[in-house]
Amino acid sequence: MLLRALAAAVRAVAAILTLGDIVRQERPGPASREAAPAPPAPDARASALVAGALLVSIAATIAFGAAYALGAQTQLLAGTSGVSLAALAVAFIVWGQRLLQQEQITEERAPEPSPEEARRGAEEALARGEREISRRGALGWLLAGALGSLGIAALFPVRSLGPGPDRLLFHTKWRAGAPLVGIDGKPIRAADLLIGSVATVFPEGYVGDPSSQALLIRVEPGLLELPPAQLAGAPQGFVAYSKICTHAGCPVGLYRARTHELVCPCHQSTFDVLAGARPVFGPATRPLPQLPLRLGADGRLRALGDFTEPVGPGFWGMP
Amino acid sequence: MALVRACLVALGLASAAGLLLLVRPHRASGAVPPRSQAQAVERGRALFDRFCASCHGSGGLGTSQGPPLLGVGAAAVDFMLSTGRMPLAVATQQPTVQRQTARFSRAEIDALVAYVTSLYPGGPPVPRVHPERGDLVRGNRLFTSNCAPCHSAAAVGDAVGGGAVAPSLRQSTATQIAEAVRVGPGVMPRFGPEALDQHDLDSLVRYLLALRTLPNPGGLGLGFVGPVAEGFVAWIAGLGLIVLAIRWIGTTT
Repeated sequence: MLLRALAAAVRAVAAILTLGDIVRQERPGPASREAAPAPPAPDARASALVAGALLVSIAATIAFGAAYALGAQTQLLAGTSGVSLAALAVAFIVWGQRLLQQEQITEERAPEPSPEEARRGAEEALARGEREISRRGALGWLLAGALGSLGIAALFPVRSLGPGPDRLLFHTKWRAGAPLVGIDGKPIRAADLLIGSVATVFPEGYVGDPSSQALLIRVEPGLLELPPAQLAGAPQGFVAYSKICTHAGCPVGLYRARTHELVCPCHQSTFDVLAGARPVFGPATRPLPQLPLRLGADGRLRALGDFTEPVGPGFWGMP
Repeated sequence: MALVRACLVALGLASAAGLLLLVRPHRASGAVPPRSQAQAVERGRALFDRFCASCHGSGGLGTSQGPPLLGVGAAAVDFMLSTGRMPLAVATQQPTVQRQTARFSRAEIDALVAYVTSLYPGGPPVPRVHPERGDLVRGNRLFTSNCAPCHSAAAVGDAVGGGAVAPSLRQSTATQIAEAVRVGPGVMPRFGPEALDQHDLDSLVRYLLALRTLPNPGGLGLGFVGPVAEGFVAWIAGLGLIVLAIRWIGTTT
């Protein structure tokens, strides 16, 4: 009894797996084959074209090898290899279109639904499988537990992605009293900058530090429109702002001196230098953080502290 | 009678000579260099009153159409005139940064410079540049940090927003480059001798001159626009060709 049931199951599975054959056996789709026309006379011109293209390809490949040996100039290498491949492609295409015998075979699509016997067999096999698993209650639950715990364990390596930046984004290398230096490390004096001039500055000892880069601009002293607290950090028309755009972090290198505007080249955010680097155009929404300055008696410029705000684009906790 | 005839002939000759003197053709400019500073100033005043005073006012005091030229310096005058930015073809236009041929000859420009600087001293003098004394590497660093954001890394120029344009530097002379650095024309900031000293200027100019002769390793320069140009060529020309090839392959007999 059991043996007969097993045999029936195997036959059903085999039927499911070989559905296509069953269909063809039961209802062979009409397969038409257009009578192949008499083979045409060999196309001499096409043959010549293919031969020519292949010869060009061989020649170009040899030229590629020569170009490589004689100095490997990139334009020559690209040109010869390109010609070689293109000629090969032309040869293939012409051969396929003109020299190969064209023959069209169509096979009608068989009707879609499976035959009744196969469908019944599949349903029976599914039901049987379900009964098998649900009959073993405890084992089923244990299986679920094992798979579930594996999934949870797969989440553990997420922690290894590294620690959060914590307060790193809130500080740069600027400290109170840090002297301003140029890109070559030379200290900046007030006399170094004319009105209408701009310079990239760093804290002494940290030239090139990406988060500390700042722009020092000198404007006519009376033109700045800053609140008193900010004005105190801009002595005699010297004002410094962070060079990192508050939109997406590009260095804001363009200074339109006549209109006192800083422009970021990436997305054209424009900041008004006289009004605290407030954005007046473009996608930036936060003004460039100001670096408060102090003009010493020796004429050297020093920072009064770090930037007034975190530099660069907004982040979680600093929108 | 012979005496009267002789006098008439003499009178005729004298008047002819006088007429010739009056209608003396305008000599090619610069044929006679001024012999003294005073002569140059005088010539400059004549040119100024004729070509410049309508906008800049007589004596360079400025009008509603043109700013005053008090203390602008020799470098500014020489730069504006030698690059052809001034005088404006149409008085109501803004000066363009597109390169034009200078309207005046070298001698006339010198005369105008002498006159304007005689009015009000001050401002940067015409800088003397010696590119051969400059350092290429230093020039590259200076250009990259100070100039490339506006003028592009290949010095072909770019728009800088607000309708302003930083022009191409690939045709400028060494002196014009140095003058622009010192003067800061238009929306450009200026850099004084304390910020960029003579050696810096020489290095910058040497680097810019060298940029023009560097070969393009990739083949065509494509206007030095950058990745945009190459992508354009690849997408439009390359893909276009490929699509055409696909059409051809797909045709069946």
